Amino acid sequence: MSDLRSTIDNAGSRRSKLPWIVGVVVLVLVAGIGWAVASSGGGAAEAAGSGEPVRGGTLEFALIDYQRSPDPQLGTNYAESIIANNVTDKLAWQDPDTGEITPWLAESWEVNDDLTAFTFHLRDDVTFSDGTPFDAEVVKANFDQYIQGDPALDINANGAPLFPGYAGTDVVDEHTVTIRFEAPLASALQAVSFTANAGPGFLAPSTLALSAEERTDPTKVIGTGPFVYESWEEQVSTVLVKREGYDWSPPALGHDGEAYLDRIVFNTIPEASVRTGSLVSGTLDATLDVGTTDEQPLEDQGFEIISRGVSGTAIFFNLNASIFPTNDIAVRRAIQLGWNREAVEQTVLTDSYSIATSVLAPSVRGYEDHSQTLRYDADEARRILDEAGWVEGSDGIREKDGRRLEVKLLGINNLVPNKPAYESVQQDLAEIGIDLQLTVVPIPDYTANVANAATEWNVVAANRSRNDPAALTLQYSPANGNGSYLGPDATGVDVDRVTEVLGAIETTLDPDERDAAAAAAQDLLLEEYALVNPIYNPSQVIAHADHVHGIVFDAQSRNHFVDTWKSNGE
Amino acid sequence: MLRYVALKVGRALFVVWAAFTVSFVLLFVLPADPVDLLFDPAEVNTIPPEVREQVAANYGFDDPVLVQYADRLWHAARLDFGTSVQSGRPVTEAILGVLPATLVLAAGALALAVVIAFVIALVATATEARWLRDLVEALPSAAVSIPVFLSGILVLQVFSFQLGWFPAFGDEGWRSLVLPLVTLAIPVSGPIAQLLVRSFATELRSGYVTTSWAKGAERSQIIVGDVFRNAALPALTIAGVTFGNLIAGSVITETVFARKGIGRMTQTAINTLDVPLVQGIVVLVAVCFALINLAVDLVYPLLDPRLRATLADTPARVPA
Repeated sequence: MSDLRSTIDNAGSRRSKLPWIVGVVVLVLVAGIGWAVASSGGGAAEAAGSGEPVRGGTLEFALIDYQRSPDPQLGTNYAESIIANNVTDKLAWQDPDTGEITPWLAESWEVNDDLTAFTFHLRDDVTFSDGTPFDAEVVKANFDQYIQGDPALDINANGAPLFPGYAGTDVVDEHTVTIRFEAPLASALQAVSFTANAGPGFLAPSTLALSAEERTDPTKVIGTGPFVYESWEEQVSTVLVKREGYDWSPPALGHDGEAYLDRIVFNTIPEASVRTGSLVSGTLDATLDVGTTDEQPLEDQGFEIISRGVSGTAIFFNLNASIFPTNDIAVRRAIQLGWNREAVEQTVLTDSYSIATSVLAPSVRGYEDHSQTLRYDADEARRILDEAGWVEGSDGIREKDGRRLEVKLLGINNLVPNKPAYESVQQDLAEIGIDLQLTVVPIPDYTANVANAATEWNVVAANRSRNDPAALTLQYSPANGNGSYLGPDATGVDVDRVTEVLGAIETTLDPDERDAAAAAAQDLLLEEYALVNPIYNPSQVIAHADHVHGIVFDAQSRNHFVDTWKSNGE
Repeated sequence: MLRYVALKVGRALFVVWAAFTVSFVLLFVLPADPVDLLFDPAEVNTIPPEVREQVAANYGFDDPVLVQYADRLWHAARLDFGTSVQSGRPVTEAILGVLPATLVLAAGALALAVVIAFVIALVATATEARWLRDLVEALPSAAVSIPVFLSGILVLQVFSFQLGWFPAFGDEGWRSLVLPLVTLAIPVSGPIAQLLVRSFATELRSGYVTTSWAKGAERSQIIVGDVFRNAALPALTIAGVTFGNLIAGSVITETVFARKGIGRMTQTAINTLDVPLVQGIVVLVAVCFALINLAVDLVYPLLDPRLRATLADTPARVPA
């Protein structure tokens, strides 16, 4: 009886359910997409109004990263450096266009002849947001802790890579300090204006006395900057409010007095479509980390795209000159010549990015155009390889002495264009008989592998953001980073000469001499020894609503909001 | 009975200890030097050796592995997993800071999923219209097949960006919770609903229902009074088992909706190889699983008289 009942009751359920499932899914998708298309572009059509800056308002800003600690001297991601730059100030400001170091908290400076002592004369009207005066003592306390660390407080030596050979800071008088180094360090002048990773922004004495753990309370992190912390919520957002009475933004910015905005909310939004969707719907005023494929659609909807190439090195392929087969200069030259830059430009990059024409970005002083060397010439590449005895094997990949021309690359996937750009290079190199094998991984895996790069990897791909030609010394000099792993096995390379030529950049501040030293370094790295194959210049891209004005990109392409305003003042 | 409890508690403790030890081996005996990960990858080659030593000493990474193990285990036993390498906050504090957000999300989504599942099963059982039943019975499969990521973006597109009913990110109280809850509840409701539809059908076929039919009860009375009650138990059991599903789904939900939570913290901790934080999370999740299993193990004999009887026999077989 009961079976009969259920048979009757369930009679219909044996039929295929597939059409229904498909139907429902399609219905939901169509409804969602239809909705999206029908009413898109609604939020962007607000009246533009440039001209006189409007005071007040909250800037809702989005980025992919979050600030892991409010300590401005600690963090290395974009969220961390951008927020740090608006809470703290630096001794000097670097002009993003000319690379010139100009006054900020230091009004003027002198450097001794051998570039080991830098004396700064400080402004005398600057205070921290808790009222403590900014003076020579606090500069010394900051540099000592920032560069040397303080194990008792769990503070790491965050500034050590920026100031190698730091010998100490002397307090000359209340508003004069001298920073000393063991060896000439011309780049120290740029370093005091450095705005990227773990920068030298000043903290009040009360903050310096706190441990790393105590500095995760944002209200206790005190700087001299145009904004002060209101709140910090890990993973979610950091909120800054305007500092009352601020009056010492870099003279080069031409901004007088306090910031225009009342508040800035830095929202962490990991998902790209949520960032752009929120911008379009009007919840956000601006967003960093705009994907290459989102730029055009946003522009079409009335949003402004602003960007600046990241100053420092291009995305580089550092060629390991000490292991097979990249210890053969013919192979290194063939890699430089063997890939189509136009193809990468057209298929991978947008107008916000550019193809590399040197190992330095064009915005760095001392940059020299090497597009004659860094050009696409497959025939020439083939000729060079033929001449060096590399013979094409059965699979199209060349061989020499029974060993295949395999080049192992280690790269990071932290920038969107990296992998597609590398793949484009890979395809082109295969055409001329080079088997470029890609391993493009997240930062920790990359870092783990870099440890044995000297013996394992032919190519290490990354970039370094530092708007100073000394980036080359730090990255490539055998005495510093030794990016091309020059050692006894680097056949045909005069290692001492590389050390000397690259080191020369650190021994002069005379602009002409420094340009000459930077030029010599680029010639050596790109032409003479072909130790680097630069790919493209990375960029930081912001999309913002048209009521937003005055977002500053500094020399390291980080953002400052002291001069930012909203024409609707909301 | 006491032996049974001791056995189960022992097993739970073992699971937690094993999680600690395995994570220690995987994390601390890695090829990567955790010190490297504290610096900008492009600068790793430029870090002076004395700075490396100082940083290593700071986190205890320079001690012999066995010393580190013993030290960390001793501290972990008192719920101290050290400080997060990336933020400097104590690991336990960092985890407890985001855990409530995830718990609210997971518990809310589970509750909502159960409600959705019951509605589906009720409609499927109660309706006389065949087309409606077919439609409703297809829903669970559809719910499971749509990825959380896609449904999350879709509901955001419609209800946040277009209609503006709910915020897409940030914390605006209950309004911020609606879309993530729905998104996470959809896939979780699928398996529960499938099970319910099936057991509703089974219960409808059983003898006591036939008796009710014979007595002249109405369809609605039978469904609510008899079938509903008896079919609910297995569904609640499977709801408990979906804990893992919820945690996995919450990682994606938290990312799409930019919510704070243990899922995203795990992802970031792994991405930045924040070794102490990763270990803290692994042990915490192990504790949760162990506790849930322990609770199920301990509650079972209370619910099932047959098991209780077996357990009562056990001591008799053990020589005193």
